[in-house]
Order: sequence, then C-alpha cells, then structure tokens
Amino acid sequence: MAQIDTSGGGGKKKKGAQKKMAIHVDFTPMVDMNMLLITFFMLCTTMIKSQTLNISLPSNEKIENEEQQSKAKNSEAITMILTTERDKDGNPKIDETGHQKNIIYYYEGKPFVEDANKDGLIDESPDGYGILRSEKFLGNDNGVEQGIRKILHNKNKEALEKIDEQKKLWREKKITDEEFQAKAREIRNDSTLTRPVVIIKATPEASWESVITALDEMQINQISRYQIDNMNQVDSALITDYIAKNRK
Amino acid sequence: MGKVKIKKKSTLIDMTAMSDVTVLLLTFFMLTSTFLAKEPVTVITPSSVSEIKVPVSNVASVLVSPEGKVFLSVLGEADLDTYDESWSSEGVRKAALREASKRYEELTGTKTNITEMDLEKFAKIGSFGVPLAKMHEFLQLDQSKQDEWLGDTSRKDNGIPMVDINYMEGDAPAVTNEFQIWMRAIRDKAGNENLTSAMKKGEGIAVKADRNTNYETIHGVLDNLQTIKMNRFTVMTALKTEND
Repeated sequence: MAQIDTSGGGGKKKKGAQKKMAIHVDFTPMVDMNMLLITFFMLCTTMIKSQTLNISLPSNEKIENEEQQSKAKNSEAITMILTTERDKDGNPKIDETGHQKNIIYYYEGKPFVEDANKDGLIDESPDGYGILRSEKFLGNDNGVEQGIRKILHNKNKEALEKIDEQKKLWREKKITDEEFQAKAREIRNDSTLTRPVVIIKATPEASWESVITALDEMQINQISRYQIDNMNQVDSALITDYIAKNRK
Repeated sequence: MGKVKIKKKSTLIDMTAMSDVTVLLLTFFMLTSTFLAKEPVTVITPSSVSEIKVPVSNVASVLVSPEGKVFLSVLGEADLDTYDESWSSEGVRKAALREASKRYEELTGTKTNITEMDLEKFAKIGSFGVPLAKMHEFLQLDQSKQDEWLGDTSRKDNGIPMVDINYMEGDAPAVTNEFQIWMRAIRDKAGNENLTSAMKKGEGIAVKADRNTNYETIHGVLDNLQTIKMNRFTVMTALKTEND
C-alpha cells in the first residue's frame, strides 16, 4: 500500500548527502470507497423536488355551480369528458409514443340529445353545439397546437393573443417578471374578452394522468374558468351514442 | 551478444488527484441531499407544467395507492426558532393522533387503547395507514414489521378506512369516516397554526397518486376532502415541458 521509496532517483550517491525519501501512498482503496459512497448518495437523493399543481374543487353545495353553468353562453361553455382505454387487467393501453391512450370527448354549449327520427341515435344539432366529438392530448407539433389543445386555444384566442403580446415585452426585458405575471392574471380574468368556461369530467376508468393533463391544458391555454365536475346520465348517454355511431 | 535491458517502469498511478475529486463530489452530494421519504407504496406521479414546489414544512400528504388504499403523512414546522416544540412534525403527529383517537372513541364507542408510549412512537413515524382500532397493535411492532404491514396491500387492515361511521350530530344523524376524522384532527387540532392556515389555503394538503390509477379510486378521496370542505388542495406532479 503505502511505500517509502529510498532509492532517491538512482544514479550515483554522494557521500554524506541526506537520503531523499519519496513517500507514495496508494490512494486507490480510498478512491474506491469514495466512489461507493458517491454512488450511495446519488441513488438515495432526490435532486429534483416534485412539483405540485393547485386544484380547487367546487364546494359540495351544487346550486352556485349549476347557475354558473347555465349562465355561460353556448359559444363559451365546453365540457370535456376524459376516459382512458384499458386492457383486460385494467392497465392503461399505451400507444406507439409511449403515452397512455387517453380520449377526450367534448361538446360545446349544452348537450344536445334530441332524437326526432326515432332511430335510437342522437340527431345532428342544428347549430353544431352540444354534439359530442372526440379528441386526444397531442401537445404541440413544431410549435403548432394539436388535438384538444388546438380547440382550447381557439376558444381562448383573445386572451392568449394579449398574453403573447405581454410575453414578447417580457422576453425583450421591457417588463419585469412580476409585471408580466400581474398583467397575465389581469388578462386571464378580463370579463370583456370571450373566455371559455371549461367543465372537466372523468369516467371511472379515466387515469389520474389524464385528469392532470387536462388541468395542465387549462394552464397552458391560460383558461381561468374551469372546474372539475361529476359525470351525469346525459354525459354517459352521449358517450354511448357516440360509440354506437362510430362503430358503423 | 549484448543483452537488451528492458527498463522496468513503475505502474503506480498517482491517485491523489482522483481522490480529491471524489471527496469533493461526495461532500457535494452529502450537503445537497435530502433523503427520499419512505412510502408504503411507490407511485409514479403524472407530469404537469406547473412549477410550484412541494412545501417542505406544514403539509399533510395523502398518498393514494393504485388499489385505493390511503396513507397519510404530516410535516410540521421545519424552522423551530420562533415556534414552540409542539409545532414540530413530532408534536403535530402526537396531537393529531390524540385528537383522532379521542374523536373516534366518541363516535364509535370503541376503545383505541392508545397510551402515552404509543404517542411517542407515533411521533417518529413518517407515513401511516392503519385503522385507529389497530393503531395500538401497529405501534407495538418493530419497524420492519410495521413496514411489512403497510406494504402488504392485500391486508384488510392496511390503509386508512373510508368506511362510514354513523353518529348523531345533536339530534340529526351524520356520517363521517376515519379519513375525515384524521384530516380534521390534523387541520384543526394539531396545535400548529401555520399548518392549519396552509391547509385552509390549500397548499398544505398534497394528494399523491399514481398516473395509471383510475379516476374512480381517486375520486373517492377527493370526494371525502370535499365533504369536509377541503376544496382546495394540491396534487403532486413531476415536471414536463409544454411541448409534451
């Protein structure tokens, strides 16, 4: 391990000259041990703290809730019903990109459930509102919104455009971070703009991830008016109808 | 014939520099590390764009396992310079168990047999999730047996029960359950005002669940929180970018 080299450089030795001692301590075991300890600490630590997402549920008293719902205009209200495809064991199915197969059924305005020709299927709504459609969480593709994000983006266009203006100023360092946040909040809650009211519902088999992703979309699209609600019979009927129509 | 002499070269490498580096790294990791809290079940949280950090103090975390079992953990004040000892995690846990057990006895009439010794032991426990009636038995076990109990999701007495407890509120019949008793005890009676206000604001309640867990399971927990007017809370997520 540690050795004392007394050869002193080889060559001739002068008489009477003090012997030079080179001390070599072998540090290899020390390094080994340190590496082990580092590995231990690296594996046991959490470098990145997990994040949190704030949620506020409506209170259990339903009255205020329904009032708000009925007040919203057809063009403003959008209801999203989340569901996840699951295999026989109840695990979510995974698509080619490694994401869960989440489906979002959505309708704008009030649900349309009339069946005038009595064929057991819901008719086309005259104004296009209230008809169930399906979408997916696709995120952005080359900076362009895809899937449900595109729909939500279009719904909240006015606010998003204004916020983008502010964002530009902030990027150019013309306004500070706080100023930008305050402005963005102001725009989000500006009642003079057409802003959507989003109601998020989830079927029993919807995954937790799909719910969080939906809430995320609210943040990304700067939507300030949204709430999580429970499914009702109309919603279930709409989905059954949608599946029946698309099976053909 | 002249022999060619091969010079013997020493193969010793000076490891001093290497050692220096490793020690530095080691110091860095030791100083920056916070150990992973031990949890009865491992869950992978869904990812979100939210960048709000998880609070390190004054938070009650609700862990929901994929089977729908519920575990709780409570953290009190981390910086105790300005506060009383009872505001610490240990103090809060003790007060919460005392209160929860008292309330449980009142409502069901069953004795929980929790002693002062049990309270002391409970103060050291991170995550817990056993019925209150079995808490005494649970606290008598040693650590590895406790972990086994919490980790074994097939056990019936694993997780905080959300079975209805019927009682009379004055003259009117009312319903509650152990989960609600616990959450109320932590919010209102734990003796830490910062925790109480954090929980009222919502940042003091963190719900953690696996990304694959179905909504029906989690809805049960959220519904309970809603019932006791804890409408605002946070959910734990991992970080992702907007483009995902």
